[in-house]
Amino acid sequence: MNTTFVQNKIREVFECRTDILRGNQIRIYADKKSVPPVLLYLKNQLGFIHLNHISCVDWIEDNVFELVYIVYRPEDKITVLVKTKIDRENPVMENIDTIWDQANTYEREIREMFGVEFPGLEAPAEFILEDWQDLPPMRKDFDTRKYARETYETRPGREDARNVRDYIRQRTGEKLPDFAKKYSRD
Amino acid sequence: MNEKKDIQIITRPTKAEIEQAKINFSPRCTSAGRVNDKETQKTVQFILNFARKHSLFLLAYGTGCGAIEIPATLTSRYDAERLGIRGAATPRQADVLMITGYLSVKTLKRVIRVYEQMQDPKYVVAFGSCTINGGMYFDSYNTIKALDRYIPVDVYIAGCMPRPEAVLKGFAKLQELIQNGNAGNGECYRKNLDWYRANQQKVIKNWNFPDEYNW
Repeated sequence: MNTTFVQNKIREVFECRTDILRGNQIRIYADKKSVPPVLLYLKNQLGFIHLNHISCVDWIEDNVFELVYIVYRPEDKITVLVKTKIDRENPVMENIDTIWDQANTYEREIREMFGVEFPGLEAPAEFILEDWQDLPPMRKDFDTRKYARETYETRPGREDARNVRDYIRQRTGEKLPDFAKKYSRD
Repeated sequence: MNEKKDIQIITRPTKAEIEQAKINFSPRCTSAGRVNDKETQKTVQFILNFARKHSLFLLAYGTGCGAIEIPATLTSRYDAERLGIRGAATPRQADVLMITGYLSVKTLKRVIRVYEQMQDPKYVVAFGSCTINGGMYFDSYNTIKALDRYIPVDVYIAGCMPRPEAVLKGFAKLQELIQNGNAGNGECYRKNLDWYRANQQKVIKNWNFPDEYNW
């Protein structure tokens, strides 16, 4: 089994955009409802028995959260990334810990760090953070610096701390590409 | 659950107050009234301090990444045991609490409980730049930046992370302080408990500590 075979098999059954990345990686863009069927098909029919990771990306400009399910087939060392976008205002995603038990842990983390709800997820409310009362801290609209400055006492002497990347750019006269300028702190 | 007390911000203790707290602290054998002579007290104090500085029991508790330097310090190459430094299993048996690296709020809660359980005389050695000014986590949402706002600290060891030589140097400094009678801040902590509690409650949101300790 190789990547092209897997890609063709997926195209036969589901209407998803797929492409092959470098190495043995396939990327599948699925919509929210077709994620569990795609994962079930990959697990039961194509032998992707291992769930590597579930991660979440906050695309604040597009107002979506992107969930990435990474599954793996150990025999041929093929990795498949199933990507889906969900609404950022009302983030709800289907719980898949019935397919893989270890998904429970990842979903708990995503629930705590991004505030994505998984209906039917059986887990204690707190995972890593304790007594957290603010916005979920991994969201882009959570101002980490401001929160740290307001909550924790800082020892005097670090007021001049600045972005090292910008400092190097100023000193060497390096030109940043446009996409990097957008995220610069200056 | 206990009701939250109103948080009162009390100003930091002055240097003179801290010095007075240190002077007020006196070991049991002198306060028992057996030894009243000033010269004898001085000698007893010298012997006590000498004994203490050569038997530092280190609580086996690592909070951050710096804990990886402790095995290297204690084992054969740097062999801290030749200076009398060795591990202890529980807080009640330990003399030295070593804060190795960054402290998240969750860990801070445990550290305070551990510190309050330790018997006098107790010493705190803070390790790494994270405990001094936040280090590389200075803008993190979940780590404290200055440890001595929350528990009293005897010796800071700078570095990210300090090598075992630096750790031994820090312990040498602690031994020097113990010999001069300047180390051990348990009394200071008890005396200024309100100030420390106010700072701790500012950070720890769900306060469920016991109200009173049997010190």
